[in-house]
Amino acid sequence: MSTQILSRRHFLKSSALVGGGVVVAVTLPGCSFDGELPIDAADTALVPNAFLQITPDNKIVFYCPADEMGQGIRTGLATVIGEELDCHPSNMAVEAAGSHEDYNNPEFGLQLTGGSSAVRVFYEPLRQVGADTRALILAAAARDLGIPAARLSTDNGHVIAGDKSYPYGDFVATAATLDVPTETPVKDASAFKYIGTHFARIDAEAKATGTASFGIDIDLPDMVYAVVLRSPVAGAKAVRFDDEAARRQPGVQTILPISSGIAVVADSYWQANQAAKKLTVEWEDVALTAVDSTRVRADLSAALDADDGVEAASEGDFEAGLAAAANTQSAEYFAPFLAHAPMEPVNATLRIEGDRADLWTGVQVVGAAQGLLERLTGLPRENIRVHNQYLGGGFGRRATLTHVVEVTEIAMATGKPVQVLWSREDDLRHGVYRPASLMRLEAGIDADGKVTAWQAQRAGGNVTPETLENALPALLPSMPEGLLGGLHGAVEFIFGNWAVDHPSVEGLHETYSMPTHTITHTTVDHGLPLTFWRSVGHSYSGFAVESMMDELAVSAGLDPVALRLKNLEDKPRMRRVVQRAGELMAAMEVPEGHHLGFASHSSFFTDVAEIAEVSVTDGKIRVHKVTCVVDCGTAVNPDTVRAQLEGGVMFALTATLYGEIDLDRGAVVQSNFHDYPILRMDEAPAIEIEIIDSGTAPTGIGEPGVPPLAPAVANAVFRATGQRLRELPLRLA
Amino acid sequence: MIEFMLNGEQVTFNGDPETPLLWVIRDSFKLKGSKFGCGAGLCGACTMHLDGTAMKTCVLPIAAVAGKTVTTIEGLGTPDSMHPLQQAWVEHNVPQCGYCQSGQIMTAAALLAANPDAAEADIDTAMAGNICRCGCYPRIKGAIQSVASNTLGYDAMAEEVAS
Repeated sequence: MSTQILSRRHFLKSSALVGGGVVVAVTLPGCSFDGELPIDAADTALVPNAFLQITPDNKIVFYCPADEMGQGIRTGLATVIGEELDCHPSNMAVEAAGSHEDYNNPEFGLQLTGGSSAVRVFYEPLRQVGADTRALILAAAARDLGIPAARLSTDNGHVIAGDKSYPYGDFVATAATLDVPTETPVKDASAFKYIGTHFARIDAEAKATGTASFGIDIDLPDMVYAVVLRSPVAGAKAVRFDDEAARRQPGVQTILPISSGIAVVADSYWQANQAAKKLTVEWEDVALTAVDSTRVRADLSAALDADDGVEAASEGDFEAGLAAAANTQSAEYFAPFLAHAPMEPVNATLRIEGDRADLWTGVQVVGAAQGLLERLTGLPRENIRVHNQYLGGGFGRRATLTHVVEVTEIAMATGKPVQVLWSREDDLRHGVYRPASLMRLEAGIDADGKVTAWQAQRAGGNVTPETLENALPALLPSMPEGLLGGLHGAVEFIFGNWAVDHPSVEGLHETYSMPTHTITHTTVDHGLPLTFWRSVGHSYSGFAVESMMDELAVSAGLDPVALRLKNLEDKPRMRRVVQRAGELMAAMEVPEGHHLGFASHSSFFTDVAEIAEVSVTDGKIRVHKVTCVVDCGTAVNPDTVRAQLEGGVMFALTATLYGEIDLDRGAVVQSNFHDYPILRMDEAPAIEIEIIDSGTAPTGIGEPGVPPLAPAVANAVFRATGQRLRELPLRLA
Repeated sequence: MIEFMLNGEQVTFNGDPETPLLWVIRDSFKLKGSKFGCGAGLCGACTMHLDGTAMKTCVLPIAAVAGKTVTTIEGLGTPDSMHPLQQAWVEHNVPQCGYCQSGQIMTAAALLAANPDAAEADIDTAMAGNICRCGCYPRIKGAIQSVASNTLGYDAMAEEVAS
């Protein structure tokens, strides 16, 4: 039979989890695995906690609770734990942690990497683990050597007794018999040996020699490869399909319908990919089928025109503040849907053997991946291992687990180890997107530039409810489908009608002290799957707020830096950042035809100001240089801070100049890098970075470099051309 | 049957001659350092050397490789014996996610082999076919420049590493 009619059976929706931005502690019962630690250790090794293993031959393994997607977290957290353990980070073997509640992000209560949170939330706990483990080794050494612990010291994985040096591994047998100390005092910052020091990323060599293992590199004996043909319109199911031609293609083993589309299983990816092109599928129409980009924009405008948004924040009397203003401005800013486009297309490899399942992938939500497998396979949680690999880019994209659902369905149907691999076209057309956003701002300032009234209205989709809704099956693996459906409906209703999803409005006023402000929100959901995208709501709110600050300064004839300083009187850390960036800008000598734009924005507890040097020639915007000033508290590895700002600027510049996902009859138009361009080296600006260390505990760095870039460039373009561009990507008239 | 040289060894491939070189290298020869990024020759993650020239291999049928010499990132250098560019990548802390870096390094190595004194404009032109989504461009350029301008000279450094 070649033509198959599919039932409208309710399939499990794709699963996802927060990828950044949400600062809510959600501890859901049953969402974490609390069984045996997912650590393979010899009987002779010491495993004092979930984070460390020390072997008799002094191999020190650190199980990193955060996923490495390029942000340097394995290096960063190895530095934090190594500081107190007294072991140089590059002398530790750093491995990705498996799934266990001990690895939960302490703030989220879930095992996830996002929200620029990992160094901030693990800084204290991992230092404590390092200090306690060092104290344990010292206690064991004192017994074995017959020397009081007070007369012993340590240096880089060795116990020092007088002029003798013993590897930690010498004492693991005794240490294993002792209670692990708790609340061991940690070092004073003045005694740090590794924190605050530049040194090479621990994964640089593997990544420069092609030996780092990503999910796509997993190659199991007898493994088959699957390519899934999905509906052009998200959420639409196949009504019928014809696979006669596809089945005759070389290497094809089977073709089967799964929840997300039609899966072609073959001996190799190439063969599966070629065969999938021979499939013909008829898809059902869904509500999204009637939507195109013009309609999205019109719906967002209509939503703001209705002026009935839910209040997200309000202080003071807006009308009175406006009446008191010497100068008022109102403007509308738009940011489109965006894809993450990580260089490694999403993929997953699964082997189910008897009552055990092993998953190899690269995700930002290891615990949810395990929970999802439990739900889908029915296997006991302790028999499911997630082997997280290096992530070839994350940016929020790898908090969604559609590919894990796919690989599980196919592995269960075929009984073989399977790798599911998405193409770039799949990635851009069937992904999860940064929501399109329309923002209307109205503001007034007094003669000195102090904001007397500030109103921001935002319309668009929400990322948290959709992400949470999709994550529930993974977080609550034993909850029956019917109850889950009820929970889905409740979440959607609450965020659609009563509550404001914080990431939808974050950053619309918080950078400054604005005693009189009103922030409202109207949910407009077209059904395109949405999720967290590097810097989340700040990625559009920063553009709107910092453009408006510039418009206010220009209209009142005030200096843009002075205007910002005027509104930072009780934000001392950001005030210092803006002050310093202003000094740098004042001293800049730019060539004829180059213009400077300024923006500053706080996100993820970090303060950043950026100055863009821009020229416009023949209608083309060129960014020559970006200068960043940042305060992210203690810089655990200053070079990583620099790298993340460099990357944040480049990521944001792609969105500023090019980034746009369009819909045509509900389907994403863009398909590959020719129509979803990414910044290339010949367009990349020079970047200068100044780190201000306020000495506070570390705050986020992966995302905060993104929000100020677009407005800094737009503000420079205004100076170059007189055109105020209020829509992303920036296009000159 | 297609014969070619792979990282200094004579090899043969018996499958579909339309199969792109990338997938032959990854699936049949199990060398996973070269990456799949776009499948359309647009991003450069799959770059290898074909007779010394940087080529995007995700769209290059294996039939076109018959009798030629292929070098992959694994053939350029290893962790124990890194190519000067690989060393420079480590010294400049270039990689973030790292996924594109094999392709970046292979393109840079072909450039410097042909033009050891490559100027910034030469580097920009040669590297424009390789996308880095993490935005490591300033460091990639810095690493290439450090090798291009090395007082030892590119060839001398390469020999030193090889010896």
